Amino acid sequence: MHAFTVIRTYLRLGLLNFVQYRADFFLGVVNAAIQFAIQLLAISIVFNQTDSLKGWSRADLIVLVGVHAIVSGILGTVFSPSIGAFLESIRLGTFDFLLTKPVDAQLLASVQSVAPQSLTSLLAGIVIIVYGLQTGSGFPGFGSVVIFVGLLIAGLMMVYSFMMVLASLAFWFVKLDNIMNIFNTMFGNAGTWPITIFPGWLRVTLTFIIPIAFAVTIPAQALIGSLTLANALLTAALAVLFVAASRWFWLFAVKHYTGASA
Amino acid sequence: MSSASIISVKNLGKTYTVPEREAGVKAAVVSLFHRTMREIHAVRDVSFEIAPGEIVGFLGPNGAGKTTTLKMLSGLLHPTSGEASVLGFTPWERDRAYLAQMTLIMGQRNQLQWDIPVIDSYQLFKAIFRISDDDYKRRLDELIEWLDLQELINKPARNLSLGERMKCEIAGSLLHQPKVLFLDEPTIGLDVSMQRKIREFVAEYNARTGAAVMLTSHYMADIEALCQRVIVIHHGTLLYDGDLPGLVSRFSPHKTIAVEFSEPVTTISDKYGELVSTTESRWEIRVPKARTAVVASALLADLPIDDLTISEPPIEEVIEHVFATGDGA
Repeated sequence: MHAFTVIRTYLRLGLLNFVQYRADFFLGVVNAAIQFAIQLLAISIVFNQTDSLKGWSRADLIVLVGVHAIVSGILGTVFSPSIGAFLESIRLGTFDFLLTKPVDAQLLASVQSVAPQSLTSLLAGIVIIVYGLQTGSGFPGFGSVVIFVGLLIAGLMMVYSFMMVLASLAFWFVKLDNIMNIFNTMFGNAGTWPITIFPGWLRVTLTFIIPIAFAVTIPAQALIGSLTLANALLTAALAVLFVAASRWFWLFAVKHYTGASA
Repeated sequence: MSSASIISVKNLGKTYTVPEREAGVKAAVVSLFHRTMREIHAVRDVSFEIAPGEIVGFLGPNGAGKTTTLKMLSGLLHPTSGEASVLGFTPWERDRAYLAQMTLIMGQRNQLQWDIPVIDSYQLFKAIFRISDDDYKRRLDELIEWLDLQELINKPARNLSLGERMKCEIAGSLLHQPKVLFLDEPTIGLDVSMQRKIREFVAEYNARTGAAVMLTSHYMADIEALCQRVIVIHHGTLLYDGDLPGLVSRFSPHKTIAVEFSEPVTTISDKYGELVSTTESRWEIRVPKARTAVVASALLADLPIDDLTISEPPIEEVIEHVFATGDGA
């Protein structure tokens, strides 16, 4: 399919240009290492006081940190840099070039920039998960891993859709860089804890408004064996809903852009 | 809508509603809550037809509606009124089949990826426009040769000079061999020789592929060199559509009469018209167009004339006059 050819070309170029990012890559590795050290340290501080955090054991939380790292790695490799480039293009007016291409503009806006250094986070995430599972409940069966991957994709689609909705607001407000900062702060900090430990109102916000729970907590539950069927189905259904809603909003925003702006 | 046209525009209009506020902090705060809106008629009732293979200069001062019109024709803006057809498509429906056959080049904005070599950006265009390997290779070789890009395409765009980058932009925008080109000030900010190079290339592309070109530029040299026909808009309204000499004769209210004397003339008289320059042997007089013949024969009768020439003012002057007076008439 044509869309895949376009995506593949962007990804290939990003990786081919790896050399351009070499220094950045090593800084990325250092940054990721510091981040994980702090997260793991926080977990061990908590578990010096207690054996269980709302039903999550120390090993479970390590798995969760790993899942979070995978999700941020994927977001940071393609979606975050592309959406950043999209916001920039709205401000500079170069978004017009995307709109005059015979490919879906949302697709181009979503994959137009690749930051391979974020892949370190993805790799670290896998290592952390393996370590967490080893020290905890042991490795899940093949079926659970498949479900985990499925839920991870669904969660990613939700987070991506949410980011696109935020970014689409730029069609009206032009300069919106801080909205992504708010999202990154929420996701970066709240996302490394199981959603169940937060007070009710915050849980609702983080789950349904900013779909962190679905991107991190629920996939992690699939690995540590605490996933309920209801949550799995809810995730799948909400993924479809989020993608559809963000698509609708995107089309509405582009229509506004071509209808009213200069 | 004639079938011979590649671009057909009928009564096209675009009105923007923009917030209006006065200067100052107080007004800014007020405008956060209550905004006064004002309508701006960027384009009004513009109609024209362009045939395949034509290069048409699109002239007007800043804010005349040129870019708005080009944006409507390239599908970026919906008009408020009127219709347009390009290659048989309604541009703002943004049919992929249409977008695959046109290109928009903006001299003030670039689309090459900043950090990666130019050739890699071309790879993206190849994927986006589904250009086959053979076509891509052949066209790229041609463009490299025409525009002399060999040394440039392996460098990241950020390492190129303005002119080099523009050449690379243009080549990239033509890889899919569009049939319609919208060029919005493609030579802006470039030095004279680079301007000429780009101009020659546009002419060459037009001659080889028969593509239609609509070009805006503030450099009359671009227009004079490339365009057999110009369309002038001002305050969003179409003022003139025709060839360049016709524009001059229609809009210039004056002609210049230069006379050379066979013997020195020392008594200077301004009864003939406005004296632009006078020496003992030569006068230049600016006269209203309608009086040209009368003044010329009076000069011939009164003075010892050796040679008399009547000329139109330079094109820049005419354009400036048109834009300054607004209606141009």
